[in-house]
Amino acid sequence: MNLEKVIFGFFIIFACTLNFGFFVGDIDRPELHHPFELFAAVVVNLIATVIKFGDRTQLGATHLATSLVATFQLIAGSLVWAWQLYVARMPMNGEMIAVVVSLSGGALVANVVSVILLLGETLRQGR
Amino acid sequence: MSEDLLFMALRRLRAPLITLIVVYAVSVGGLALVPGLGADGHPQRMTIFHAFYVMSFTATTIGFGEIPYPFSDAQRMWITFSIYMSVIGWAYTLASVIALANDPIFRGLLARAHFARRVRHLAEPFYILCGYGQSGSRLALALDGTGNRVVIVEPRLERIARAAIQEFAAPPLTLMADARLADVLEISGVRSAHCLGLIALAGEDDANQAIAIGARVLNPSLPIVARAKSPVAKINLESFGGVTVINPFDTFADNLAVSLRKPEVLQVEDWLTATPGSPCPGIVRPPRGRWLLVGYGRFGHSLSTVLDREGIEWKAFDPGITDGSDRRLQRGDYTESMLRDGGIEDSDALVAGADVDAVNLGAATLGRRVKPDLYIVIRQNHAQDSALIDAANANMKFVQSELMVHECLQRLKTPMLGRFIARMRSRDAEQATRTLERVRAEVGEGSPHAWRFECDVMRAGLFAAFFQRRGAAYKIAHVMADPTKRRERLRASVLMLERGSEFELLPADDVALKPGDRLLVVGDADAERLQQRYLDEPSAVSWVCSGTEPPTGYLFRWWRRQSQKWRESPRRAGTRAKGTS
Repeated sequence: MNLEKVIFGFFIIFACTLNFGFFVGDIDRPELHHPFELFAAVVVNLIATVIKFGDRTQLGATHLATSLVATFQLIAGSLVWAWQLYVARMPMNGEMIAVVVSLSGGALVANVVSVILLLGETLRQGR
Repeated sequence: MSEDLLFMALRRLRAPLITLIVVYAVSVGGLALVPGLGADGHPQRMTIFHAFYVMSFTATTIGFGEIPYPFSDAQRMWITFSIYMSVIGWAYTLASVIALANDPIFRGLLARAHFARRVRHLAEPFYILCGYGQSGSRLALALDGTGNRVVIVEPRLERIARAAIQEFAAPPLTLMADARLADVLEISGVRSAHCLGLIALAGEDDANQAIAIGARVLNPSLPIVARAKSPVAKINLESFGGVTVINPFDTFADNLAVSLRKPEVLQVEDWLTATPGSPCPGIVRPPRGRWLLVGYGRFGHSLSTVLDREGIEWKAFDPGITDGSDRRLQRGDYTESMLRDGGIEDSDALVAGADVDAVNLGAATLGRRVKPDLYIVIRQNHAQDSALIDAANANMKFVQSELMVHECLQRLKTPMLGRFIARMRSRDAEQATRTLERVRAEVGEGSPHAWRFECDVMRAGLFAAFFQRRGAAYKIAHVMADPTKRRERLRASVLMLERGSEFELLPADDVALKPGDRLLVVGDADAERLQQRYLDEPSAVSWVCSGTEPPTGYLFRWWRRQSQKWRESPRRAGTRAKGTS
C-alpha cells in the first residue's frame, strides 16, 4: 500500500462525494442545499487540485484539468450565492439556488470524470 | 523550457499551498459555526461569506476590526486561534516561495528559459560557439567585429562571466551548460533559420566530437567546424561527414611543409587571408638543415611527421619521453646543458614547442645567443604571454588561438577561398606566383577582400543575363566590368571558377558563364558592392552587355515588343515591297 495513493484517491473521491451531496435534492428549493456543504466542496476541490500539481504525464494533465474545471464551477456557484445575499441583498430564492446547483452539477460531472480517470489508472496498473 | 519552470514551481509549492487551504478552511468553517451576535444583540451565526471576509483581512494581518457586528467572546477565542494558525501558514508559504526563488536549480532553469526565448526571437544571422576558452573568446570577438551575433555555450562559470565583461558591439547570448546535450543544442538555435554555423571549441576532443555529431543530426545542412587535437577524433568526425575538422597542430605543420617545399604558395595564402589592406608578406624560407625540437608533445609530433616527410634530419627532447626505441627522441629537461648536448650549435632551426611559455622563451633566447642566425619557431600557449613571445623575435610563431580564429573564419565565411588554397597547394609554385602577380596588377598592393559571386538565375539580374538577352554569351568580363562605367573594369580579380564539381583556377575574362557557376572574386569592398548589382538589376546587365538600358515599366516594355515585332514582321517587308513596285 502506498500512502501517497491513499491521500490522492481520498481527496479525489471526497471532492466528488461532497459535490454530489450538495447537488442532490430539488434544484429550486434553497432549504435542501446547505451553504456549508458547498463550502466544504470548494475546499476539498482546491486541495485535490493542488495535489495534482506537478505531474507531467498526459494522465496527470487531464486529472489537473478536470479538477480545475470543478473548482472553477464551484467557486462560480459560491460567488452567485454571495452576490444574491450581499450585493443584491435578497434572501435566497428558487431561481438563484437553481443557478448555484446547476453550476455544482457541472462540477460534479468533472469530478466524476476525475474519479473515472483514477479508477482507470488503478485498473491499468493492475497491482 | 518554461513548462519545466512551471512544473518545478508547482511541485515545490504543493505542500505550502495545501497547508494554506486547510488553514483557511478550518478558520472560515469554524468562524461560521461558532455562536455569535446579530445586529441587535441576539444570537446569530456568521455566514460563510462574512467568515471568509473576516479571515481574509485577519490572516493577512490587515485587521479591519469586528465586522459586520461586534464579535461574541466565543468568536474572539476562535479568531485568536485562527490568527496564529494563519500566520504560521503564510510564513511557511512565503518562505517556500523565497527558497524556491533562490534555488540554484530553479535559477538555472530560469536562466535557461530566458536564453531560449532570446535565441528564439533572434532575428539576425548568428553563429553558435561551444567552448569559450582562449580560441573561443578571440573568435567571438572576431565574429562580432564582422557584424555577426554570437551565441555562446560554455559549461564553466568563470569563462561565461568573462564573456559578460568583454566589449562586444552586439553582446553575445550566453548559456552556462554542456553543449554535448541535445536539448542544449536545440535551445541554442541549431535548427534556427538564422543560424549560420556552429563552432565546437571545447577543451576536450570528446566534447567537440559529441557536439559536432549532435548538431549534425539536429540540422543536416548546418556548416559545422570542430577542433580536434587527436588524430582519432579527426578521423571519427571526418568519417561522420559534413563536419570541417581543424587540428591546430597539423594545420601549422602543414603550413610549415608548404613553406619548406613551395614558400611562394604560403606567401600568397598569407596575403589573401590577411586582414584586408595589409601589405604582402615576404617569402619565408625555413632552412632544410638540422632541426632541434624542444618539447615533444602533440605539437612536436605533428612537426616531426612533416620533417620526416620532407626528409629533414631532426632531434627532439622532452622530459616526458620514456620510449627509447627512437634514437632521435631524448629524455631530458630544458636546461642549457641539455640544449648544448642536443647539438644546438650545429642545428639550423630550433622549435621551442613546449607547453610552458617560460621554457619556450628560455630555449629561444638561449638558441639566439649560441647561434645568432638560428631559425626559430616558437609556440605561445597563453594570451597574456604574447608581449614576451613577440620580444623573442622568432621567425615563425605558433599561437593556437590565432590559428584557430584564422582557420574558423576562413572556413565559415569564405569556404570557397579555402578550396582555392587547397587546390593551389597541389599545384606548383609557378601557379602561386601567377596568382600573386595577377591580383597585384588588377587590385593593388594591399591584401584583398574575398567574396563569391554565384550565377543564381533566380535573381532578376542574372535571369535577364542568361535568358532575356540576345547576342553573345555572358562572359566573366561582363561581371567584372564596372556597372557605372562600362568600359572600365572593377578593381577585382577572379581567382577561380567552379562549375558543379569542376573548377578552373585563374579563368580568363572571355570564359563564358553558365547558370549555377560560382566565381571566387577578390578585390576591395566597393567592387563587391558594385558587382552585386548584376544579381538584381537587369538594367545594369544590359547596359554592360550592349550599352543600352532596357525599358523598365510594363507600358514601355510592351511598346518596345510591339515595335520590334512590327519592324521584324515579314508582312511589313512584303507591303513595303508591294508599295515600291
